[in-house]
Amino acid sequence: MTDSSVAAVHKKTRLRLLFTAVHLVLYFSFTLNWTGWGSGLSSRLGSSEITGSLLMFVLLVLIFISLETLFMVLSRWGRS
Amino acid sequence: MNLSTLGRQLSAAMVLLFPGLGFAAGALDDVGGEQALNPTAIGMFLLFVAFTLYVTWWASKATTSSSTFYNAGGQISGAQNGMAIAGDFMSAASFLGITGLMYAGGFDGLILSLGAFGAWPVLMFLFARRVRNLGSFTFIDVISRRLDREPIRLVTAFSTIVIVIMYLIAQMVGAGKLIQLLFGLPYVVALLLVSGLVLAYVAFGGMLATTWVQIIKAGLLLFGVTLIAILLLADSGFSFSSLLGKAVDAHPKGEAILGAGVIFDDPVQILTIQVSMLFGTVGLPHILMRLFTVPDMRQAKLSAYYASLFIGYFYIALLVLGFGSIAYVAGAPEFFDAGGRLIGGSNMAAIHVATAVGGDILTGFMSAVCFATILAVVAGLTLSGAAAISHDVYAEVLKKGKPEPKTELRLTRASVLLIGLTAVLLGIAFEEENIAFIATIPMVVSASVTFPILFLSLFWSGFTTRGAIAGAVVGLVSSVVLIVLGPQVWVSVLGHAEALFPYDYPALFTMPASVLVMIWMSKADRSARGVTDRNNYAELLVESEFGEAGPEVARA
Repeated sequence: MTDSSVAAVHKKTRLRLLFTAVHLVLYFSFTLNWTGWGSGLSSRLGSSEITGSLLMFVLLVLIFISLETLFMVLSRWGRS
Repeated sequence: MNLSTLGRQLSAAMVLLFPGLGFAAGALDDVGGEQALNPTAIGMFLLFVAFTLYVTWWASKATTSSSTFYNAGGQISGAQNGMAIAGDFMSAASFLGITGLMYAGGFDGLILSLGAFGAWPVLMFLFARRVRNLGSFTFIDVISRRLDREPIRLVTAFSTIVIVIMYLIAQMVGAGKLIQLLFGLPYVVALLLVSGLVLAYVAFGGMLATTWVQIIKAGLLLFGVTLIAILLLADSGFSFSSLLGKAVDAHPKGEAILGAGVIFDDPVQILTIQVSMLFGTVGLPHILMRLFTVPDMRQAKLSAYYASLFIGYFYIALLVLGFGSIAYVAGAPEFFDAGGRLIGGSNMAAIHVATAVGGDILTGFMSAVCFATILAVVAGLTLSGAAAISHDVYAEVLKKGKPEPKTELRLTRASVLLIGLTAVLLGIAFEEENIAFIATIPMVVSASVTFPILFLSLFWSGFTTRGAIAGAVVGLVSSVVLIVLGPQVWVSVLGHAEALFPYDYPALFTMPASVLVMIWMSKADRSARGVTDRNNYAELLVESEFGEAGPEVARA
């Protein structure tokens, strides 16, 4: 196995693990809603009925999809 | 609403959530009656059946070998496969169970949505490309590339069959109960109908027909939830805040439903749910099997990406449906029986909200979609179980990877028939049982056995067969033991006052235990086979990233 192929694989592996770690940190941050540290999340945003908790749910879904999009772009960029 | 009622609803929603899981029998014990025979729903369902049988007939002409049977010849595009994965995963369970839990407790129900959605990015980041590059038909092909193929295939095929059978029991009991509620059909008739149709799809059309059934069903489900969400928002001036206001006014807990704490108050319980759902989903054999239906690694990655888009959209739409069900069902007397109970229980809240905003036609449509969903999910499970028997055990272990192709295909079809019959018999046997714990086992076993083996095979050079088998045994045994000692069996089934283990989903503890044993036993392994396993890693790693050109890249 050549050094360049090993380096390429290791680089890709680091990218995979980095994205997974970021995703898991964000994913498990949702638990904050059930702890004292996240009590502020149950407050309403301005005069609307939407709370920080609900906004967090929607944002997490959108962030996860954005992370996947970024991962795809970086993977393609790495290939080219 | 007292805690025991909420506990039952949580249990029902949890077993409803995953692909392959329908209503648990116990979850439907406390319902307020059933629907009358629904001709609109039956008519729409017959249309779906007629169309999907036509697709099966078309697919059967292309299904002439084991390859086309297991992976549709690898010719499904990434977008199609993403839709099929979404169809496999966005079950009636998700639609009915999460909406029902939100109806009961508002925001807390969303933990199931996020838990279910969170698995897809992990599947894409870690597995999609590498699994596609290394396997042919099942994820077991991937791990047997570097580990001792016979023992590791037997162990993982056994865990696959455990997962599939447990899912099927839950699914068949759930299907019978759900169809009884939605269509007014007898339980056994519903089981025979589901089994007969699934056998037709899978035995004749294989993965190709299963894929298209799942695509069609996903399209119908997405259309249905979108329509309900639009109608709900339209009635609130297209203001989500206004819809939330109506929900707060209608729910006895008032504003509390907009934040956490109505159903759950223990963060560790939340973590147990999150770990089980994320790692359990990523390790499900019938989901991993779908990665082999696409032509290359790029399409495999696109599959996971499109699946995320569809599933993410679905769960955001369910956010509207969940709060909409509180706003439009909770205060409407037509959805309650004389005893003040919601007709069909809280899991029917999604159907009732369809009735509230779309009348009988939308109710019939969504009922038919739920039935179609069960068919799509059971088809995927049946195919996965048949592949474990005929490919992983017969072709790869008994015939040393050189089976007679026609015999293998015949055995596959016979396995499908066997699984179908088993599903019906177990469905009848478990009709009156509380099967919530059976529905728990697949996710926990998947998180504690399948995921660690697959992850360590692909990402750790020191992994050996001995470590994999020891960890798999620990993962399997500890999962079953802790589920038995937990509330679902120790209290609900065996009748003890308190559970010896406090959580329903023990993967937070069993998965780390399994991983630690795998690492410890692998490090301690001084056998010749252990050396081979470690030496196999380098070539496997390059091939996993670069595909079939991998070994050439490595030798260059």
